Amino acid sequence: MKILKLPKEKLDLFASVVQQFGELHAPVEQDGRYVFKRLTRWSDARLEYDRTILPPKKYFLPPREALFRYRPGEGFVPNTDGLDQRIILFGVHACDVYAINILDRVFAGKYKDPYYQARRKNIAIIGIDCLPDKQCFCRSMRADFVDHGFDLFFYDTGDYYQALVGTALGDDMVLATGNLFEPVDAAEIDDYKRRSWNKRRAFQVDVEIRDLPEIFEMEYQSEIWDELGEKCLSCGSCSMVCPTCYCYDVADDVELGSRAGKRTRLWDSCLFASHALVGSGENFRGSRSSRIKYRFYHKQRGFVAEYGRPSCVGCGRCVSACPVHIDVVQVIDRLRRVEDVASR
Amino acid sequence: MSKPTVGIFGLTGCAGDQLVILNCEDQLLDLVSLIDIRDFLMASSENNQDCQLDLALVEGAVLSNRDAETLRAIRKRSKLLVALGTCAVWGGVAAMNRGADRDADRDALLEEVYGDIGRGYDSTPAQALHEVVPVDFNITGCPIEKEHFLAAVASLLNGDLPLYPEYPVCTECRMRENNCLLIERGLLCCGPITVGGCDARCPDLRVPCVGCRGPAGDANAGSLVAVMEEMGFSRPQLAARLRTFAPGGVA
Repeated sequence: MKILKLPKEKLDLFASVVQQFGELHAPVEQDGRYVFKRLTRWSDARLEYDRTILPPKKYFLPPREALFRYRPGEGFVPNTDGLDQRIILFGVHACDVYAINILDRVFAGKYKDPYYQARRKNIAIIGIDCLPDKQCFCRSMRADFVDHGFDLFFYDTGDYYQALVGTALGDDMVLATGNLFEPVDAAEIDDYKRRSWNKRRAFQVDVEIRDLPEIFEMEYQSEIWDELGEKCLSCGSCSMVCPTCYCYDVADDVELGSRAGKRTRLWDSCLFASHALVGSGENFRGSRSSRIKYRFYHKQRGFVAEYGRPSCVGCGRCVSACPVHIDVVQVIDRLRRVEDVASR
Repeated sequence: MSKPTVGIFGLTGCAGDQLVILNCEDQLLDLVSLIDIRDFLMASSENNQDCQLDLALVEGAVLSNRDAETLRAIRKRSKLLVALGTCAVWGGVAAMNRGADRDADRDALLEEVYGDIGRGYDSTPAQALHEVVPVDFNITGCPIEKEHFLAAVASLLNGDLPLYPEYPVCTECRMRENNCLLIERGLLCCGPITVGGCDARCPDLRVPCVGCRGPAGDANAGSLVAVMEEMGFSRPQLAARLRTFAPGGVA
C-alpha cells in the first residue's frame, strides 16, 4: 500500500482533477442532516459530517431498481440503465466502506449479482477518517478502520490529509494530479499516530462482541425479545438506513393487457409482517417479537457463523432512526448482563 | 374471449377514487379496449344497472340503509368486489367518531345536525364495505393511487390478484432519504403505522403523515402512542389524529 500526503489547501484542486474519473458525489447538508448527493459545486461537500441518512449502499443496491423487461415468447432483456455510470463517492467513512466490503461478500461472493458488481466496478470510493460521536460503536464492531474496499482513504493529520492508496484507480487519481501529493515524512507519521490514538480514546460507546453469538444462543428464550416485539413498530426504518441490510423483494409490474412486464427489486425488511409470508398463507415469523429477534440473530449470530463476523458495523444509524428508541447497544448490553439472567 | 364486464360505483364519499380512474387519461383507451365498463354513473348516463359483472369497484362507505342495499345488490351481480379507497376499505372520515359518538340515539344526533327535518333521515353509523358484504380485495388510499388501480386491472386480466405494500409510510420515506419529521422535528407524523404505497408523498413535502391510507400490516399503534405521549402529545389529540381515517385504531 502506498501512503502519501496531500496539503489541505490542495483538496479543492484534487477534487476538480478527479472529476475526470467520474461524477463527484459527497455528503451535503439537508435540513441539518447529511445525504450523499451529486455535487453541483465542490463547496457544497461537507466532509466533517457525522453520518448520512442513508448509507452509500443506495448507490450499489438502489432502493428500487428495474432488473429486466420480459415478454412471453421473447424472453427477457436485462436492464443496463445507469450501470456503467462512473461515480466517485467522496468522503465515505470507514464503517461504511467496511459495510460495502460486507455487501461484497453477499453480492460478489458465492452468488454473483451482476447489477451490484457492475456498480461496484464503476463507482470509486474515496474514504475519509472521522471522529466518533455518542452513537458510534464501529470500534467495538472492528469497523473503525478499513484496509481495503476503497480507492483512496484520507486521514486528517492537521495541515495535511494522509492518503492511503487502495487500488490502481486510486493510484491513477494521484498520478492525474501531477505533483499535488507528496511523500510522508516522520512528522506526519507522528501526526497520524496521534490522531489514531485520539480517535481511539474518543469512543463513548463500547460493546463487547467476543462470544456474543454464544450468548445469543443461550438467550434465545429471553423475555427481552417479547419486550422488543411490544415496542417495535415494524416500520423498517432500521433496515432502510442500515449499511448492511441487503434483503430485497422482487415484484413484477405487468403491462396492461399482456403477460409482459418489468421485474423490479426493492428494499425489504425482516421486520415487515409480510417478510416471511409464503404462498400458502403460512407466516413463519408472524409475531413482531419473532421478527425483531430474527433481525438481531441474523446480524450478531447467523452472519458470524457464515462470514466470521457480525454484519453490524456500528454506524449508529438504526439507533437514531428508530421512532421508539430501540437501541442495539442497549440490547446487547442487557443480554450480557448477569442480573437479567438471574432474575428469570 | 369476451371482455370482462365491469361496474364502478360510489356509495357515500367524495367520488375522488372514481375521479382517479377517469384521470388515467393515457390509459383510458387501452382500458376500454380491454374491459367492458357497463355501469359507471360518474362517467356515463347510459348504464346497464342489471347485468352480471365480472368486477365491481366500489368507492365510499356505507352510511345509510340505502347504501347497504345498493352494496348488497352490487355484490349479488358481481363475481369480484373490490373496495376502492380508504372510506370503502376502513370507513374513512365518515367513521372517525364511530363508537365514540351517540350512535345509540341516532335520532337526537340527526336532529342536532339537521334540525327538525333530521328525524327519520336514512342514516346509519358509517361502515366499511367488508362489514356489510364479503370483499375480495382492497385498494386503499385517499384517494387511491392511479398505479394501484391500473395494476389491479392488469393483474386481474391475467387471473392474478394484485399485490400492494403492507409496510408503513416510513419505509418509502426512508427510501427517499427524508429527514424524519417525527424524530427530528417532533411532529405528529403517522408514518410508522400508516400503510405505504404513496411513496411518502406528504412527508417528502415536509408535511406529516395524517394516516389517510389506513393502518399498515401489523400496525403497532399502542407503541407509537406511548412514544408520542412522552413527546408531549395528549391522548385526545392523538386519538383524534389516529381515528381520522380508520376508526377503532386507538381510543
